[in-house]
Amino acid sequence: MAQANDSQSSIGVANFRDLHVQTNRSVLIPPIGRLPPEILIAIFSKLVSPVDMLNCMLVSRNWAANCVGILWHRPSCNNWDNLKSVASSVGKPDGLFAYGELIRRLNLSALTEDVSDGTVSPFSQCKRVERLTLTNCSRLTDKGVSDLVEGNRHLQALDVSDLRSLTDHTLYTVSKNCPRLQGLNITGCVKVTDESLLAVSRNCHQIKRLKLNGIASVTDKSILSFAENCPAILEIDLHDCKLVTSPSITALITTLRHLRELRLAHCIEINDSAFLNLPEQMTFDSLRILDLTACENVKDDAVERIVSSAPRLRNLVLAKCRFITDRSVQAICKLGKNLHYVHLGHCSNITDSAVIQLIRACNRIRYIDLACCNRLTDESVKQLAGLPKLRRIGLVKCQSITNESIKAFAYPPRGTPNHPMVSNLERVHLSYCTLLSMDVSTIPCHVFITRVNMEFQSIRPLINNCPRLTHLSLTGVPEFLHDDLTAFCREAPPEFTQQQREVFCVFSGEGVTRLRDYLNRDITIIPEETEATMYDDDEELDEDEGQMNGMMHATGINDEDYIDVGPAHD
Amino acid sequence: MASPIITLTSSDGVDISVDRTVAERSVLIKNMLEDLGDSGEAIPIPNVNEAVLKKVIEWCDHHKNDPPTAGDDDDTRRKTTDIDEWDQKFMQVDQEMLFEVILAANYLDIKALLDVGCKTVANMIKGKSPEEIRKTFNIQNDFTPEEEDQIRRENEWAEDR
Repeated sequence: MAQANDSQSSIGVANFRDLHVQTNRSVLIPPIGRLPPEILIAIFSKLVSPVDMLNCMLVSRNWAANCVGILWHRPSCNNWDNLKSVASSVGKPDGLFAYGELIRRLNLSALTEDVSDGTVSPFSQCKRVERLTLTNCSRLTDKGVSDLVEGNRHLQALDVSDLRSLTDHTLYTVSKNCPRLQGLNITGCVKVTDESLLAVSRNCHQIKRLKLNGIASVTDKSILSFAENCPAILEIDLHDCKLVTSPSITALITTLRHLRELRLAHCIEINDSAFLNLPEQMTFDSLRILDLTACENVKDDAVERIVSSAPRLRNLVLAKCRFITDRSVQAICKLGKNLHYVHLGHCSNITDSAVIQLIRACNRIRYIDLACCNRLTDESVKQLAGLPKLRRIGLVKCQSITNESIKAFAYPPRGTPNHPMVSNLERVHLSYCTLLSMDVSTIPCHVFITRVNMEFQSIRPLINNCPRLTHLSLTGVPEFLHDDLTAFCREAPPEFTQQQREVFCVFSGEGVTRLRDYLNRDITIIPEETEATMYDDDEELDEDEGQMNGMMHATGINDEDYIDVGPAHD
Repeated sequence: MASPIITLTSSDGVDISVDRTVAERSVLIKNMLEDLGDSGEAIPIPNVNEAVLKKVIEWCDHHKNDPPTAGDDDDTRRKTTDIDEWDQKFMQVDQEMLFEVILAANYLDIKALLDVGCKTVANMIKGKSPEEIRKTFNIQNDFTPEEEDQIRRENEWAEDR
């Protein structure tokens, strides 16, 4: 009988606790019996359903020994009954297999506040867990989490986001036990301080992904230590770590040569010097994503420096960096085709001419948000329609734009190089674009009532010509706030006030389809062959995003985070 | 550009001529050719008989223009048992041959073929009861009823759909 092989992969052949698999030589071996354990394991690992895996375990002793590791690699604890069953087998001293040692991934996030320290205590003997996900299990305390971590030298990823009662104690335990830690997400663990983070930075040198969102007491002390001691860091998120200042940022960028993603939203102390102090001759080619949402003290000088130092930036978020001007946008133009995602919401100094330059220079933009850029007019917004890969556009509260702009999205300019035959637009945010419906003057032919103009002149062509559209927000656009249209709207979020509810108007998913059908009710159009492809694409997209998020939640690019940066709940 | 012809010798002593680019789908053969240089000598494949080797070469020939194995890792990580149509037909053979092809793919280090083979077997397993699986592969049940029962109890969570 082959022994469990630790070095080969995380899945090995398990041993029966007491029994031995006997090869009875008198029995004729069937063809499948010639397959060695590693190939049987490769076959079993193609199975998706735990039921199939269990059925394989029940075939024979040999199959059980080779399949149990795959079944228990990631036991499903998505409901209470399953968790109870898993925990009881793990805790059983006389189980047929040592199940606890087989678990590599444990995810209890589906059970949220039902999970207590008592619930997880049987798992304290699972010392080979590589990924431990306890997101939102808010009743867990230091005791429960530390017991899980204590003695586990294999832990690679720990997600304890929103376990608000955790303190430095848990992180000290992590720093002592987990030299292989690569991912740490302690978002919202508000009691954690610099002290334990210093210990983590000094002991867990392999960290690649670090999320410290909302830990208000984090200071430069621990961040500088991460910069110094953890050269493998790829992604770091300091959202709302308000005490962190510019020298930390300079150090992170300068010393972490693999840094790919740097998120600093609401780190309000950061100013131009964070970037102006970067060494002159160095460029940071790994940096792809930089989020400076609401870092108001980051201004044009810094943006120019960012672009020249990190020429391969793909996502740049400058939302609410309200002092930046056209100079910044002109600098961003230098990113050229590398730029896929740009958020300039609330950067209200920006004018048409800079946006037009941006569109010409960066024609691979897939996402652009210009919410509350009040100076923008149809002149630039119409040109956005020429971006061949554009999928999401945010124009919330761009109050000067009219139906003309929206028509441009429905009928993109001909002759644009590489423009696809069918629009790629998926999400369009037009809330509070109050002029949209009032604009009769620019519509030469039709002199219907304004409402009809709106339907026929802009939104209907938009919705008919953008087959991939899955989200359209028109909150606060007066002409759309009629019962027959809002019938297709999704529900306003529960926390909305009555006043907010009255203007809420967001069509998503099925709602877009139903709105499309309604607007087309009087006319027969040849249905475009979009249904199937639309759903296929959606799935693909989800999968992509899922994979990006893979290792830890929200480490990838999650566009949704940025959509509603505009007015409260677009 | 014509690719040079090389000769492989099967375990039962039969020489088989094959395009070098086709044979190089096998990492084992590719490495051997690189070590041997252009000696022109036949390469012995001591673990694979003529019938199986020909079958494997048929697969390599069909897939000779596939892009290099860069995507393979992803493929295996993403648990999918989708098999393209040609490969499905190719794998419609008796179990004797099926497992021989899998063993040969493993020995010759042809990752994509091993993958298709494993997927094929996985598809034969899916949705079947333990007894049906035993019948399919002619496997003997060596559990005691108590052990079977214990496995069911200890893995109850896996039955949740």
